[in-house]
Amino acid sequence: MSVKSVAHTTCYMCACRCGIKVHLEDGRLRYIEGNRDHPINRGVLCAKGSAGIMTALSPARLSTPLKRTGPRGSGAFEAISWEEALRLLTERLTAIRASDPNRLALYTGRDQSQSLTGHFARMFGTINFAAHGGFCSVNMAAAGLYSLGGAFWEFGEPDWEHARLFLLFGVAEDHDSNPIKLGLARLKARGAKIVSFNPVRTGYSAIADEFIAVTPGTDGLLVLALIHCLLEAGQIDTEFLVRYTNAHHLVIDVPGSAEHGLIARDAEGRALAFDRTAGTLVAAESLDIDPALMGRFTLPDGRAARPAFALLAERYSEASYAPEAVAARCGVDAAIIRRLAAQIAEAAFRHPVVLEQPWTDTAGRRHERMVGRPVAMHAMRGISAHSNGFHSCRAIHVLQMLIGAVDTPGSWRYKSPYPKPIPGGGPPGRTVGPPGTPLDAAPLGFPLGPQDLLVDEEGEALRLDRAFSWEAPLAIHGLMHMAIARAFEAGAQKIDTLLLFMSNMAWNSAMNPGETTRMLCATDAHGEYRIPFVVVADAFASETVAYADLVLPDTTYLERYDCISLLDRPIGSAHGPADAIRVPVLDPGRDVRPFQDVLIELAGRLGLADFTAARGGPLYASYADYIVRHQRRPGIGPLAGFRGADGTAVGRGEPNPEQLRRYVENGGFWSQHLPPQQLYYKFANRDYLAGAQQMGFIGSAEPIVLQLYLEPLQRLRLAAEGHGARVPPQRLRARIARYCDPLPIWYLPLEQAMSERSRYPLHAITQRPMAMYHSWGSQNAWLRQILPENRLYLHRELAAELGIEDEDWVWVESRTGRVKARARTMSGVNRHTVWTWNAIGKRAGAWGLKHDAPEFTRGFLLNHVISEFLPGNGADAPQSNSDPVTGQAAWFDLTVRLERCSPDSPDETAPRPDANPLHITPRSEKPT
Amino acid sequence: MTMLPERAPGARKMGLVIDLDTCVGCHACAVNCKEWNTGGEAGILPDYDKYGANPDGVWFNRIHSYETESPERSRTVNFPRSCLHCENPLCVTVCPTGASFKRAEDGIVLINTDICIGCKLCSWACPYGAREFDEDNGVMRKCTLCIDRIYNEALPEAEREPACVSTCPAKARHFGDLADPDSPVAKLVEERGGVDLLAELGYRPTNKYLPPRQAQLPTGPEESPARPSQGVGAALLRLLDKALSR
Amino acid sequence: MRPAASILLLTTLTGFAYGLLAWLGLDAAAGAAAAAPTLLLTGIGLVVVLATAGLAASALHLGRRERAWRAFSQWRSSWLSREGVAALLTYPVALAFAASAYHSPAAPLTRLLGAAAALAGLGTVYCTAMIYGSLKPIRQWHNPHTAPDYLVFALFSGGTLFVLLHTVVIGAGGWPAALAAAAAAAALLAKLAYWRHIDRQAPLATLASAIGMAHGTVVRPLDAPHFTENFVLREMGFQIARRHGMTLRRIALGLGFLLPLLLSLLGASGGAPLVSSALAVVCAALGLLTERWLFFAQATHVSALYYGRSI
Repeated sequence: MSVKSVAHTTCYMCACRCGIKVHLEDGRLRYIEGNRDHPINRGVLCAKGSAGIMTALSPARLSTPLKRTGPRGSGAFEAISWEEALRLLTERLTAIRASDPNRLALYTGRDQSQSLTGHFARMFGTINFAAHGGFCSVNMAAAGLYSLGGAFWEFGEPDWEHARLFLLFGVAEDHDSNPIKLGLARLKARGAKIVSFNPVRTGYSAIADEFIAVTPGTDGLLVLALIHCLLEAGQIDTEFLVRYTNAHHLVIDVPGSAEHGLIARDAEGRALAFDRTAGTLVAAESLDIDPALMGRFTLPDGRAARPAFALLAERYSEASYAPEAVAARCGVDAAIIRRLAAQIAEAAFRHPVVLEQPWTDTAGRRHERMVGRPVAMHAMRGISAHSNGFHSCRAIHVLQMLIGAVDTPGSWRYKSPYPKPIPGGGPPGRTVGPPGTPLDAAPLGFPLGPQDLLVDEEGEALRLDRAFSWEAPLAIHGLMHMAIARAFEAGAQKIDTLLLFMSNMAWNSAMNPGETTRMLCATDAHGEYRIPFVVVADAFASETVAYADLVLPDTTYLERYDCISLLDRPIGSAHGPADAIRVPVLDPGRDVRPFQDVLIELAGRLGLADFTAARGGPLYASYADYIVRHQRRPGIGPLAGFRGADGTAVGRGEPNPEQLRRYVENGGFWSQHLPPQQLYYKFANRDYLAGAQQMGFIGSAEPIVLQLYLEPLQRLRLAAEGHGARVPPQRLRARIARYCDPLPIWYLPLEQAMSERSRYPLHAITQRPMAMYHSWGSQNAWLRQILPENRLYLHRELAAELGIEDEDWVWVESRTGRVKARARTMSGVNRHTVWTWNAIGKRAGAWGLKHDAPEFTRGFLLNHVISEFLPGNGADAPQSNSDPVTGQAAWFDLTVRLERCSPDSPDETAPRPDANPLHITPRSEKPT
Repeated sequence: MTMLPERAPGARKMGLVIDLDTCVGCHACAVNCKEWNTGGEAGILPDYDKYGANPDGVWFNRIHSYETESPERSRTVNFPRSCLHCENPLCVTVCPTGASFKRAEDGIVLINTDICIGCKLCSWACPYGAREFDEDNGVMRKCTLCIDRIYNEALPEAEREPACVSTCPAKARHFGDLADPDSPVAKLVEERGGVDLLAELGYRPTNKYLPPRQAQLPTGPEESPARPSQGVGAALLRLLDKALSR
Repeated sequence: MRPAASILLLTTLTGFAYGLLAWLGLDAAAGAAAAAPTLLLTGIGLVVVLATAGLAASALHLGRRERAWRAFSQWRSSWLSREGVAALLTYPVALAFAASAYHSPAAPLTRLLGAAAALAGLGTVYCTAMIYGSLKPIRQWHNPHTAPDYLVFALFSGGTLFVLLHTVVIGAGGWPAALAAAAAAAALLAKLAYWRHIDRQAPLATLASAIGMAHGTVVRPLDAPHFTENFVLREMGFQIARRHGMTLRRIALGLGFLLPLLLSLLGASGGAPLVSSALAVVCAALGLLTERWLFFAQATHVSALYYGRSI
């Protein structure tokens, strides 16, 4: 008779964080299914989650700590004990911390425990911390958090139940995938219209009612053209603008002055507006005024000022934003743009959603019903992965604000615990006091102006990756994609230990794997590695592991405790906050430890504050212990549910020793449903904001004013004009002045503007296969049957023009190199764009695959033809290939040309770096 | 017994309705099916060369994608393909051993792998390519409509549906009794014009597919509005003339 | 359809065997047994050997050979089962025929059993043919040519064997070779008619109807479910280049039908009877194996539509 059991935990086959029920039979995995009670996935589970069993059995699982014995990249290691590994690391980090803690750089990839890893960095005293957001979606995060106090994906979702028109911009289909799929199904069932703006018609775009094959990098321009049409037609929700945004705030209009473009304020610091009824200047927040949105007014000191909206209307009314002017560039007919604008207006203003649900605003005014604009929007990588993505995303948010479609019935909505005050936190932490002192704040933060940047006297970056510098002032997620290149440049003076957790920085997460691995192996004049010590923590033998000096083997997601915390990347929905845990379901049976456990022990050994017991030694026995007992602020810990001595407190409350047990009993998660009067207008909903403050989500219950006009950018721009004490270095002034525009702008993606377009006329992008998550799928025996190799897709007409047929090998050539790919033709793709699936190609030797696996022989990475750097101008060092505002990696700015390979070309991809499988000397056989 | 059973009056016709309008092609159904069935009563669904050059295995459900062009529109169609539990299943009648059979009570087509001799003839008889040979055990395999779930009283009632239906994130798969005109699946087929695949071959599949359609709610002008003749800003200024209240 | 060696051997060998049995049986039924019981006995011995070899080869095709006995149970619906039953029943009939021919070659019972054996042999061939002929998803099989063709090919191939045996056991005789030539001619014409038929057939279905799209919708495959070949593609998606197919057709035609026809005519006219009849058997065997290979290789299965193959 077999012993059967079911455990509730959280999936980690991608970043969705679905609830799963894991069925075990005699301790072995039998079946994984979605948890029907879980707020994220409500019982459904995608291909990745359903293949969890095969990841738990992956041949690529690491099984012991490793110390490098051969040259870096050779794959030669010896197995060592955890004690030896921790001793080695503790000695090294103790020395660093005593001299210059910033010589530890901690980058944590697709980490779901950033509140822990970031806190470790802060307590260690290094500013050099980031997760993967810089190469993923920081453009969207920054644009959203600075504009709305929330953002697409993690901090917001469409109102699937009421939207009538849904605009989807460049979505990555392996992210937030189950909630979006469930939502799309709801839209479809209700008959709502889905419009997809994407160069490629697969996945969600396949089921869209209208597919707009926009040219990569022009979405922002297209949106500004929609705004142009709406302005032209007078289809604007002015009531929404004056109540909830800074549209009526007066902007000082004295060109050349130190305050030009800043918001005019009264003595109390309150923004000013002009009340048309009284004919006077008033505090913009005043009630019952009739604020001017147009015009030009004189401030008490005689300076001129104009409402922010007037600046906006003036700019986007220009003929250069007319559909006819942008059509060719966007690859979309002007008539289509005009029709879409009309459809947006029709849905928003002719079909408002009216819910008979009273609510009270922050001024205490009761509203009898909730009225919404049923135009919902969602965006992801297609917006984010361009060097103009911050402004493109801002343009979408401005469009949302102009039609009053932010957190109203039928529109995009905040997910709890958002909205947060704009911006959502303080400035990035900085070094204070002698080495070893914790930073004064968390290493990642929200600069509001030059004063918050991490730069030295010359205005040069303090951080290794140059985040929060004049090169990327709002790099709120750091620039992980630049970490290795910058470490290589800086050398041992600035960097000693590079600790990478859970990211494949030597392969598909590198903008250019060849260059990155070269830099990892580069030595100085003394034969020492330029990046002295590389530590990799990962569960699997990725391509990066071979480049480590020390490998800390992590467990799989089924073998550890974890928390999906409101302090980190929350899983709340528009209906209310939620968080969840992972519990160990399987015994690893290998000498591996959860990275979080290791970090907590390391922190204790290093004696870091918040991690060290009063008598010395680690304060927490494990991550599970930390999850329960750690308090970030009094009463606020990693988990919000079942707090307090009796487990009845939510949000705030004393640690509850029984908290994890309560989570397990509750199916592995906690969630709270907001009462109906709190479900919309959260930025100005008195009851919601009071509740959120009570829960500890926000510091105050003040209304959150949506930022149509983004003043912090103007502060940076003024510095570029030479105003103020902190100004950018000369070489960056024009750049800051241009890109730090307080209203959305559109510009040609930087690389495209600098490359020879006649030679490289095609755009090249990647898409995310729904059954894969980055590089993880290839080690999975089921998922790799679906995609063991990838193709380069191109339009049938383009293929015919170039004489390319299905299955032909072609060279994809960019300004920096070429990669060989097999072609496949299709119709549903932008005529000037080629694309492939992301992260399918692998390096021989990695991921536990056999030497002739198609992932090695025919799978290819587009990364081989991307560069971390823009072309140089000859005078200055090249800039990083990133968004100039946020530092977001500009993966999709790539331009290429295609050439058919000669027919006798071998049936395999190129480049194919030599195989470097791990050769591990067992501990027992270690030479004495 | 491979003679087709007499269908008793009132017998059920259990099957799937697959909505091609919402299927995003995510492979969730295919993998979850693989997962359920590999550990299920039917025994492991084999995989061959798992980490090598030609990874392959037995799947009961496979997801294709196609591009379609008609005078009205072109689009990408994701298409899950599995056994359709036909009313006229040649795969059953050709079987020499009785291993392949159709149940009288609910129409489910099954294989008794204990008596299958692995002659593969049934796979030749199926125009849908729904049967796959298990090289490890020398027998044919196919979709069981999760017969070990749908009648499994150890499962909560809500979970008594095929794994592919339970897991489908886009809710593109529906399960029920297609013989009952009042069942939700039958109504769905009726409302949405559900179709038989390869109807011309006469297998009379039980499973139905709902073709792609256009958005149902009116979303405003289908024609592009003309460029305003009054010049930029006139309409906006009229709007802005209205008194506002903060 | 993938041409599996086991099935090619089965159908070719049983074709020779049961074709020969039919000749022997009909010969006996016509009253010739009394004149040449040795021919009959050797012949039936050969029939048993060839048929058994063919059936044994077919067992190689099975995933679970030890369960092969179960295949006799579903004769009410399955042509494969019927083939098994018929093949099984043919043994006692053929043996009884042999026994009767041995003991009383001139007896009416022998003539009767000869007729019965011919019927049993051809019946088995018919069952085999109907296995293919009944498969609706394969237009190259599911047509009026398949069953008659198999019968004609059996008579033709068995005929070449009969002539050879006759020449060896009794000596050259004009009429068997003439009849064999006629059978070869009939087989040749049947094959040509078959190829003409399948080359002009319309596909059974379109990809649009396979995925439920409206008539007239143009459908192009974008991505297959899995990248590597799977069972359906290996088994049902087998393809050969058209040019390659034409070459093989010529070889099959020349080697399998035309040469045996000419050799039979040569034999019938008394030229080198032993050599010509032996050569005719060899040619027929090689040619029919080629023909049978093509019968599979050029057969398309509707399910391959899903993978964008033309059918």
